[in-house]
Amino acid sequence: MENRRVRTGKHFMMGNVACAEGAVAAGCEFAAGYPITPASEIGHTLAKRLLEVGGYFFQTEDEISAICAGIGASWTGKKVFVPTSGPGISLMLENIGFAVGIETPVVLVNIQRGGPTTGAPSMGLQGDMVQPRRGSHGDYEIIALCPSSPQEMFDHTVRAFNLAERYRAPVFVMADAFIGHMREEVTIPEPDELDLTYRRILEKGTDPSTVKVFLDEEVAPMPIFGMGFKTHVTSSCHDEYGNRNLIDPTALDNFIQRLRNKILKHRDEIVQVECDYDNCELALVAYGAVARCAKEAVRVARSKGLNVGYFRVITAWPFPDREVQDLSHKVKKILVLENNSGQYYPYVKAEAAGRAEVEFLPPQILGQVHGLDYVVQKIEEMLR
Amino acid sequence: MSSVEHPLRKYLRPSVEATTFCPGCGDGTVLTSILQAIDELGMTMDDFVFVSGIGCAAWIISPNFNADVLHTTHGRPIAFATGIKLNLPEKKVMVVSGDGDLTAIGGNHLIHAARRNIEMVVICANNGIYGMTGGQVAPTTPREARTITTPYGSLENTFDISRMVQASGASFVARWTTYQPRQLTKSIKKAIQKKGFAFIEVISQCPVQFGAKTGAGSAVEMLEMYRKSSISVKKAVEMSPQEIEDKIVTGEFIDTAKPELCEEIARLKERIRGEG
Amino acid sequence: MPKVYILREACKGVVDCDICRFVCPKDVLGKSDMLNRKGYFPPEVVDEDACTQCGNCMVYCPDMAIVVEMRKAKKAAR
Repeated sequence: MENRRVRTGKHFMMGNVACAEGAVAAGCEFAAGYPITPASEIGHTLAKRLLEVGGYFFQTEDEISAICAGIGASWTGKKVFVPTSGPGISLMLENIGFAVGIETPVVLVNIQRGGPTTGAPSMGLQGDMVQPRRGSHGDYEIIALCPSSPQEMFDHTVRAFNLAERYRAPVFVMADAFIGHMREEVTIPEPDELDLTYRRILEKGTDPSTVKVFLDEEVAPMPIFGMGFKTHVTSSCHDEYGNRNLIDPTALDNFIQRLRNKILKHRDEIVQVECDYDNCELALVAYGAVARCAKEAVRVARSKGLNVGYFRVITAWPFPDREVQDLSHKVKKILVLENNSGQYYPYVKAEAAGRAEVEFLPPQILGQVHGLDYVVQKIEEMLR
Repeated sequence: MSSVEHPLRKYLRPSVEATTFCPGCGDGTVLTSILQAIDELGMTMDDFVFVSGIGCAAWIISPNFNADVLHTTHGRPIAFATGIKLNLPEKKVMVVSGDGDLTAIGGNHLIHAARRNIEMVVICANNGIYGMTGGQVAPTTPREARTITTPYGSLENTFDISRMVQASGASFVARWTTYQPRQLTKSIKKAIQKKGFAFIEVISQCPVQFGAKTGAGSAVEMLEMYRKSSISVKKAVEMSPQEIEDKIVTGEFIDTAKPELCEEIARLKERIRGEG
Repeated sequence: MPKVYILREACKGVVDCDICRFVCPKDVLGKSDMLNRKGYFPPEVVDEDACTQCGNCMVYCPDMAIVVEMRKAKKAAR
């Protein structure tokens, strides 16, 4: 029988469509969203595709409602998807923190556009890179992936679902208008070639007041609704059993640290980078659409005899600290390329401090990807 | 004598010793009215998922009800409840929250849930003020009432929540005061059985903030005021707007049948499966 | 003979609440002179013979602190 979830084969596909197909292939059953450029095609695709597989795309009254409906749906045990762009994420931030706090698997996609404010909706900018990490109030960790191609829009969306389910946490796919609207060849594997993760659910009949269902650094089983668990889930500071505690600072410390450690302790399973800088003097650091330009610039510079390498950030958060440390040990100079005014750059610089010299290069014009000659010229300058 | 237990106690979490409400707060009466309705319908807590927002009334269900309870962020319980109901259509989903939560910060979700006519019970404990944060003016505060943020009296008009929800498309809308707990229980029973969006506004006394700040007085004085100024929907239609200005119109405003969202989605999925 | 039980520890006191005595049509309840553990003065039954089992005190009490035992079990409305 034809598998309606996985459109196995080679396709010439838009990044946003590949993203939606990734979600369906990963087992998404519910998506919620509000129309927004340049992410709308994801919703357009899901509106049809989810119904074909017995799921539902719910168009909400605003993005706040989208993330809330998504979190509610996730507590019924469904795999949930909330695609949007930067302004949508701005509206969702409070409840993204809620998803972190009550340990809810949910995948978010930010097809970043030109900001601040309404900005330039159809132009790509990597302007929201720190937003998932620090946008919601309070102290927390987050997982964010950076696809560089329509193929990776598919692959990273599938992986985002796996990570969300594995760690009972919100996971971001941080693309931009370039990647979202780019059309390239996308290979969708056979269904059995997809390695899919499903969350651990509390065994039916278990009384959650006797089992830790929150704040386990090894990820507690989820006491989803509708199974008679009588779970108490609260946005307030709570203990391992979901009991609210607003008077004890050690309970708050426990609440924050365990949620952070749940991600940080497993950073080796989460963090991915692409490295090609052995014996190089200089390395370019880039992610997303800009990484394509960086890779090409390295190829051109090497053909000119320049000793330059390449470090692509695939997992932006948690920050690839050990990987950047290794890089800074092995190269003398680092050039961070971003299509913004330097958002990820300070993190790289701080991590490499005292070992490598770190510079930042924005594109000539924000909202455009760096010109090839412009980057090669900068490499030549730095190696002079 | 200490062995006597309240018959509704069995619906509360064993760990709950007492509610967190101030003495005389109407939210406790809303709590018992909900449990009484569930008890009289012969349902169990496992038939429900309860959702609340932020504020005193959100604590009616959280942590008290021994059920699946999602205590969410400010203003958003209906949005969360919608996501739950769409994916657990066989369960009853009930939102219990306050007027600030559901009509000020969360007003948009209330309007659109009513418009969609998604099956859900929303109970709004309306105390006319922000109680938990110290007695600030709310959209439901009477005009000219003094609150901590309207020291010279409120300049704004008062929200008629029930009329707004009715206009938005709800299947069932009722309003009662906490002086009418038996009528309230009866309406909650109807709301739970309603295939569609069911909304109940409960005018509920807050002696500590509303009573003290606006001069409405103690819990008992406020209940006496509810007793005196409540008029039925039927009577209200025969009265002029001037005559009902200071009255509380109570009763069931609408009880109708129309297509419900979850059923419509199920039908659509069935159709697509047939075509596929 | 109706029986009215005051669950003293659940009560928040007649000084600030007093709803039970307000809704009782027969003045069955008075004020207890003994504080409960939380520091409230619960009501106490002063005239049980006058009780008509209307159930108002039990229905209105916001704290589930009163139980009126009915002589005949009411038919549960289903």
